[in-house]
Amino acid sequence: MQQTSETFLENASEAIKDAGKAQRRDILAQFMPPVRDAAINNFENFEALRQHVKKVQQHSLDNLDHYLAQFEQESVRNGNQVHFARDGDEFNSIVLDICQQHSARRIAKGKSMVTEETGLNDFLQRANLDVMETDLGEYIIQQAGETPSHIVGPALHKSAAEIRELFLEKHDLGPRELAETADLVGEARGVLREHFLNAEVGIIGANALIAENGYSMLVTNEGNGDLCANLPRILIICTTMDRVLPRAEDATAMLRLLVRSATGQPQTCYTSYYSGPRREHDTDGPLETHIVLLDNKRSDILASDYHEMLQCIRCGACLNHCPVYASVGGHAYGWVYPGPMGSILTPLLTSLEQSVALPNACTSCGRCAEVCPTDIPLPDLLRDLRHEEAMEKLSSRPWRQGMKMHAWLLRHPRLYHALTAIGIPILHLLGRKRGSFSRLPMADGWTSQRDFPAPQGKTFMQLYKARNKASRTRADD
Amino acid sequence: MTNSARSQIFAKLRQASRGAPVDTLERELQAMGRAPAAALPCPDLCTAFLANVLKNQGSVDCAADRSGTVQVVGQYLYQHYRSHRLVAGNDPRLAALPWRDAGVLPRFGSVEPGEPVALSFARLAVAETGSIVTWTGKANPAANNLLAEHHIVLVDSADLVANTEQAWDRINQDMEKSGRPRGINFIAGPSSTGDIEGQLVYGAHGPHSWHVILTGDVPVTALHEARDLAGG
Repeated sequence: MQQTSETFLENASEAIKDAGKAQRRDILAQFMPPVRDAAINNFENFEALRQHVKKVQQHSLDNLDHYLAQFEQESVRNGNQVHFARDGDEFNSIVLDICQQHSARRIAKGKSMVTEETGLNDFLQRANLDVMETDLGEYIIQQAGETPSHIVGPALHKSAAEIRELFLEKHDLGPRELAETADLVGEARGVLREHFLNAEVGIIGANALIAENGYSMLVTNEGNGDLCANLPRILIICTTMDRVLPRAEDATAMLRLLVRSATGQPQTCYTSYYSGPRREHDTDGPLETHIVLLDNKRSDILASDYHEMLQCIRCGACLNHCPVYASVGGHAYGWVYPGPMGSILTPLLTSLEQSVALPNACTSCGRCAEVCPTDIPLPDLLRDLRHEEAMEKLSSRPWRQGMKMHAWLLRHPRLYHALTAIGIPILHLLGRKRGSFSRLPMADGWTSQRDFPAPQGKTFMQLYKARNKASRTRADD
Repeated sequence: MTNSARSQIFAKLRQASRGAPVDTLERELQAMGRAPAAALPCPDLCTAFLANVLKNQGSVDCAADRSGTVQVVGQYLYQHYRSHRLVAGNDPRLAALPWRDAGVLPRFGSVEPGEPVALSFARLAVAETGSIVTWTGKANPAANNLLAEHHIVLVDSADLVANTEQAWDRINQDMEKSGRPRGINFIAGPSSTGDIEGQLVYGAHGPHSWHVILTGDVPVTALHEARDLAGG
C-alpha cells in the first residue's frame, strides 16, 4: 500500500473540508464511546479481566520463542503447512506460490489488516488472480478503489447513498431501487455468495493463535470469514506471530476484551477455531491448509522499548476515542493503521522518517490509554517516538530550537516563574476588554481556528501560593 | 526462503526471550488463575442462556423430550415458513428423533442452494455468551451453519455450561477421546453487519434468523423469565 503519512498535515487539511465525511465521523465519535461503556459496565469486573489478559500477553510475548515453536509444532501435527515471512514481499510471494501451485484463479478473502499491510491484493491481482474481499466493508472499499479508514469498520467513511451509487455502477443487475441499507446488504450477499461457491482459495486472518493445540481463532459478525475457511479447497491463514497465546482459554479471555471494546457486543456472532484440513471422515472443509506468519519488524519491536505495542488486539477503541482521529479520519494517517495505535505502529513498521507527523497527531488527552483493553500506555509510546524524532533531528529546526528553549526554561523554575509573573499580567491587561485574543504572535496555529482566552490576572503559582497561605492562616486560627 | 526466514525470525525471538524453562512457564500460567467471566443475568443457567440468546437477536423455545422437540420444530417451521422441510447433518441424535410424529420432512446432508432451513444439534451451549457450539464434520456440515437462510439449533440442557472456560474444559475432554475436530464454531446470533453507516442489518452472509431450542431438563419458568430479563 502506497504510504502518504509524510503529508499527514496536508491530508488532514483536505479531510476536514469534506463536510459529509466530517459529520459521519462526528456521529461515530459520539455513538461509539457510550456503546463501549455500556458493554464494559455490564461486565462488572472489566479491570480485573484487563489486567489478567495483559499479564498473559506479557508472559506470552516474553517467551514468544517457546510459544511460537509450540504453536508451529501443534499446527503441523494438525496437518497445516506453516510458513514464515520476514517482510511483506516474502509474505506475498509465499501466498502467490500456494495459489499458483494449485492453479487457482479465484480467491475469496476475509478481513485481514496484515494483508493490507503487505499489499497482498494488488500483488495477487498483478499475477492475474481474481481476489474478492468478502467482509462487506472491505468489499465496498475494494469496489471503490479505496483503502480502509477504520480497522474495524473499513467503509464507515462512506454514506449509504455513495454505496448505492457504487453498487449500481459495479453490479450489472439492471434497474433497481436499493433504497434501504438492507437492500444494499442483500445485493452484496448475492454477489459474494456466487464468489464463495466458486473460489478455489480462501484467505482469512486470525485474531489469535493457540499454542497448546495449534488452532487459530477467527471472529466475525458476518460469517464471511467462516465461508472463506470452509468452502474453498485451499485455505490460507495470514497473520503475525505476535498473535500467539498459550491456551484456548487465554484466547477467549482476550475475546471478552475485544468484542466489548470494538463493537460493544458481549460476543461476536461467529467465533471459530480452525485446526487444519478436513479429517478422514469429514464431508467438507479445505483439503489443504497453510498458515503464513509475518514478522515485518515485529521481532525488532519485541526487543525494543515499544514491545507493549504488540499487545494491541486491533479493537479500534483508541480510534473511536481519539479527538484527532474524529477530526481528520483514518485516511489522513496515510497507511494501514490510523489513530493512536496507527501513529505508533506506522513508524515502527515502516520508518519514523516516513511518518514524522504521526506521533505528533496527539493532544495528549490520554483517552486512548484509558480505553485500551490491553492497557498499552499509548500516550507514553507516542511521546517516546516524539523524543526519538528530536534526537534524530527529524522534526523541523525551529520546532526543535523552540522545544530546547522551552526545556531550558522549565529546568530554571525561578526564571520561569519570574517571566510568567511579568507576561501574564501584561496579557491580562491587553485582553481585559474582549476577554480573549483573536491574534497572537507565534500562536497563529491556535488563533487561526479559535480565540485564545485572556489570562485572568495571576499565574498558577501565584494563585497556588495564595491559597496555601490562606489555608495556613485558617489552620493557625 | 521460508527455512532461512524461520531460523532468522526464531534467532531474533530467542534474543528477546527470557529463556525460562517449560516448568517455570507452566507454573507461571497456573499462578495467573482464570480470567473473570461476564456476570450472568440470573443464577439459573438455563434462564441465563435463553436470555442471552434473546439479547443476541436469536429466538428461543424449550422442549422437555424427543416428542416435544419435534413438535416445536414442526410448529416453528410451519409458522414461519409454511413448510415441513429442513436439512440436517448426519447426526445420529437428529436421525433418532420421531420426525413423522410432527409431520417434519428432514433431508440429511449438507444444505444445497434453494434449501432455506437448516437444523443443527449443538455439542455445547454457553450461558455467559448466549452461544451454541458445533464441531465441523458430517454430523454438522459447515454449510448448514452458514448457507441456510434460517438456522434452527437444538441443544440439550445437559450440555449447557456457565462460561467459555468451562466450554473449553469440555472441548478438551472430548478432544482427548476423539481427536481434534477441524473446526469448532461458537455461534451467537444471526449473521449481522454494521458496515454501512453503522446500521445493523441481519443476514449479511449467513442466516437471517437463528432459533435455539433448549431441550431436556429446563425449569418451567425459564422461557418466561428469560423473556423478562431480555426485555421482550
